[in-house]
Amino acid sequence: MSTLHLVRKSAFTTNDFAQCLSVLDQQDSIVLMDDGCYNLKHPLMDSLIKRADSTITINVITNHAQARAIETLAEVKHIEMVDLVELTFTHKKVITWQ
Amino acid sequence: MTSSDQQVDSNLSQENGLAIINSKAPFSSNYGKDALDVALIFGSFEQKVSLFFQGDGVYQLIANQDASLVSIKDYLKTFSAFEFYDIEDIYVCQQSLVNRQLDEAFHINDVQVLASVEFGKALNRHQHVLRF
Repeated sequence: MSTLHLVRKSAFTTNDFAQCLSVLDQQDSIVLMDDGCYNLKHPLMDSLIKRADSTITINVITNHAQARAIETLAEVKHIEMVDLVELTFTHKKVITWQ
Repeated sequence: MTSSDQQVDSNLSQENGLAIINSKAPFSSNYGKDALDVALIFGSFEQKVSLFFQGDGVYQLIANQDASLVSIKDYLKTFSAFEFYDIEDIYVCQQSLVNRQLDEAFHINDVQVLASVEFGKALNRHQHVLRF
């Protein structure tokens, strides 16, 4: 029963990312896109990465991070929009946090 | 007139011009572009404009961004025209940069990074404020 979480807002202005993390399950995946890319530098990200030794995968849309001049982390997988489409098929549900 | 009255008087007379606060990240909404348009319009009518960047608004100033990657017309490049519109007072909230782990590497020159108190003081020197 895996869920794909699409995080589209900056955690510095909204608490969407915090809410997402509060419902996150072991087999879930996260995709940081649009302003969600800014969360790579948010303190919440550190706590997520500490959890991520489990099966949670964290992805970021390469173009969206690059456009915003955000350095990404080794723990985060770079994907394109086509890969995102693929992820929507491999997960049972999708939640968009925006 | 006492000295404190004079102090108040001089403070009031210093209070002038328009302050524009930018508080939104650049690419996911039109706020940044709208603020830029207002600043340039006031500038072209020789009105005094100061720009303030606070919260996620500081992302508008960060170097090496590329809006074309997300199919957006890059209005940030127009920031380099500020000097031609006599927009010289550009202030950034230091705490906002620190919270976001951002260096003071901006894509325009003559940006002043101010601590919260000074940022507030600078804002209070203005008669009118618009926030985007």
